[in-house]
Amino acid sequence: MNIPKITISPRPNVGKALLAGGAVLLIVAALLAWSYDSTILGDLSISGNPAPLQEFAIVMGVVGLIEAALVHRRLTSLSWWDTTSSARALAVGTLVYIVLIDYNIAYQSGGVINLDPGAWLALVGALVMVAGSFLLAPVKVTNQLKVHGANWLEIVVITATLAALLFMVAFILRGDDGGSVLAALAAGGTFGVLLFRGGFFTWLSVAAARHRPVIMLGALVVALLFPLTQNGTDANMSIAVDIAIFLCAALGLNIVVGLAGLLDLGYIAFLGTGAYVGAMMSSAASATIGWHPPFLVVALLGALTSAVLGLIIGSPTLRLSGDYLAIVTLAFGEIFHTAVNNMDGTNGPDLTHGPNGIAGIPDLNLFGFNFGSTHNLGSFTISNYSNYYILLVLVAALIITIFSRLNNSRIGRGWIAIREDERAAEAMGVNIFGLKILAFAGGAFLAGLAGTIQAHATPSVVPDNYTFQESSFLLAAVVLGGMGTVVGVALGATVLKLLPEKLRFIEDYRLLIFGLALVLMMRFRPEGLIASRRRQLEFHDEDENLADIVQEEHVDEQKANA
Amino acid sequence: MTQFIQQLLNGLTVGSLYALIAVGYTVVYGIVQLINFAHGEVFMIGAFGSLATWQVVCQKSTGLWVLPIMIVGGALCSVAIALVMERFAYRPLRNAPRLAPLITAIGISIALQRAIQLWYPGATSNVPYPSIDGVTGGSLTVGSVVIQRTTLFTLGVLVVSAAALYIFISRTRTGKAMVAVSQDPDTARLMGINVDRIIAAAFAMGAILAALAGVAQGLRDSNVSSTMGFLAGLKAFTAAVLGGIGNIQGAVAGGLVLGLIEAMATQYIPGQFGGNAWSDVYAFIVLILVLVFRPQGLFGARVVDRA
Repeated sequence: MNIPKITISPRPNVGKALLAGGAVLLIVAALLAWSYDSTILGDLSISGNPAPLQEFAIVMGVVGLIEAALVHRRLTSLSWWDTTSSARALAVGTLVYIVLIDYNIAYQSGGVINLDPGAWLALVGALVMVAGSFLLAPVKVTNQLKVHGANWLEIVVITATLAALLFMVAFILRGDDGGSVLAALAAGGTFGVLLFRGGFFTWLSVAAARHRPVIMLGALVVALLFPLTQNGTDANMSIAVDIAIFLCAALGLNIVVGLAGLLDLGYIAFLGTGAYVGAMMSSAASATIGWHPPFLVVALLGALTSAVLGLIIGSPTLRLSGDYLAIVTLAFGEIFHTAVNNMDGTNGPDLTHGPNGIAGIPDLNLFGFNFGSTHNLGSFTISNYSNYYILLVLVAALIITIFSRLNNSRIGRGWIAIREDERAAEAMGVNIFGLKILAFAGGAFLAGLAGTIQAHATPSVVPDNYTFQESSFLLAAVVLGGMGTVVGVALGATVLKLLPEKLRFIEDYRLLIFGLALVLMMRFRPEGLIASRRRQLEFHDEDENLADIVQEEHVDEQKANA
Repeated sequence: MTQFIQQLLNGLTVGSLYALIAVGYTVVYGIVQLINFAHGEVFMIGAFGSLATWQVVCQKSTGLWVLPIMIVGGALCSVAIALVMERFAYRPLRNAPRLAPLITAIGISIALQRAIQLWYPGATSNVPYPSIDGVTGGSLTVGSVVIQRTTLFTLGVLVVSAAALYIFISRTRTGKAMVAVSQDPDTARLMGINVDRIIAAAFAMGAILAALAGVAQGLRDSNVSSTMGFLAGLKAFTAAVLGGIGNIQGAVAGGLVLGLIEAMATQYIPGQFGGNAWSDVYAFIVLILVLVFRPQGLFGARVVDRA
């Protein structure tokens, strides 16, 4: 999200005053009524009693005041914080946020005429903030990579960031109409861009590298705590289960595409293989295999079947150039879909019940823990879907652990070498074929594992869940988020699965938007939303400055690890 | 024997369609080493363009005279789409890593399919394609073999286009320039060839042939759908690989061979794994086998891997 460079001769003092004034206006506005209708966007109609969306406006105003206070007052401890850029991001984000809300109120209550004074005042406040922030002078900041706080402070900040993330996600999910979800997204996006432009994330990425166990554990805890924010209801948890399955598959694909650079366009077939093995060997009435071993055995079998398929498809084609591999995997995906669609007893052996699929798969029962029933944890209720969610989060954590361990190992470096220049890697003695096979079969194994859980978590396993379209969504998640990064892929998977669920009004245009987003992404930011610096450099190899940063960061990381 | 000849005809018809689309893949790949994955969608747009021309310009007449107009209309649409995607999606990525254009192509493909579904009236399911006097309708019988009129039309289109293509490549300046660029783009540029223009011409040429295939397929199946480009594109790519990617004659031959393999396998593979339901699978197995045992294709690829 680039804020356009507008050349206005800076008037720092005027800018500062306007920024502060706009922020005050915004805070005052948030205490007034915005709409006469109490049914719109939560209740925005009572003066002096701000609704959650108005509380966000207050927070934006307060942050605006802090930013105004920080301008030109160079605190040494905050000299890395880019006040001007972040203030601009804040102001523009606030404006977008207010415009979205005002538009929504006007749209739902039949015209701008129905906006109450508060809504107008907030708009004016946001506009004044924008004007003020663009009059600020650019600041020179110290390198965020070099900032080290006290260890305990860094850990507290990391934890607080994760907690804020959890809060924001829970808040966005609470919205039940498109308008409030969109507004909450805009608020979240504003704070995100504010922190990004200020340089906080650059600092965070280095700090996180210093405290890797803390951030990994913290993220896991946050993910596991999420069901508790849902009061035992299943509405969001079923979406969360979908996202978690999708995420597991996307993380597996991330190893194949992001690390080893092997474009797999039929990856969903491996998830499908796992799901079908899981379904056929479950104790469902329509299961087609008479043997029903415990789930752990089934999971292993599903994953292994998938890995073997990966070997069969991969081993001959991995000798060829990347394009051919992509097409062969695509063909394999189609063969898989046609095959499970056909094996209904008429066109082949009755293994999959054809287009009807295998339905009525019973809930999992692991070590006496029944995933189908609700459990109580203190005063919290863990619902049916939450059980699966927790299991899937653990699987995702396992995959992430594998990913990050591999990423820093001899194998991972070999993959990256292959990805960047296969011939050079071969000349350096990297075992190209072995490593490619490992990536391909390993990715298939992980997808198969996720598939066996999917068989139990979803009502039925049908061929149409495993089409090329699903494969391309997986790829889109990896590409949009940022190939080769865990955070990016998690973001991509969540966005791709969550937005269509929550913003029903884009349902029709979902595919169109995805397609165009892929094209624009490749054109303007091929490294993804959250890119590893090294990846970014690959796509912008003429950028000398970036190359220096990458080198410096790399050295810093090595020092931190040592 | 009758059955064999019947399947031979079926195979050649389907194969002709693959061949027409495959030329688009192979020409573009030969020049820029890009798998224009969205080419199947260009074919689909060609079919819908001709249908729209028939509805709007030809006032739904069924006389034979509307056929050339439909073809021109379809070709204009597909060429326009191909040129736009070349200019705005592929050209900026010419020096990017190879993953980038492939992902772009997938994006274009998804977006175009969805755009047609959203904005072409009735395109969420199959859209009926008109019957044209003389080209569709009553079949001919030779001995005991039934020949559909559309079969003759499709074969005719392939023969005429192949001849036109041969003349274009070997006789015209643009055609010769295309060969030169595919052999060595840098030297071609030094010789004063406008490489950008030639690449655009290659996309346009592929699009014209794809539109012809779109019309032929519409007439044959008497309907078109927004998803028809995906499978057809994939199989046409298989055909291009089969013939040796970058090799134009190879693409035509590869299309025909693939069509024949599909038809024969459908007819002669016995048991539950035979028949129409599995015909796509045979085509893809052929693709995998060719890539494994003879990646340069049956007739030899005309490009070296310059990556």
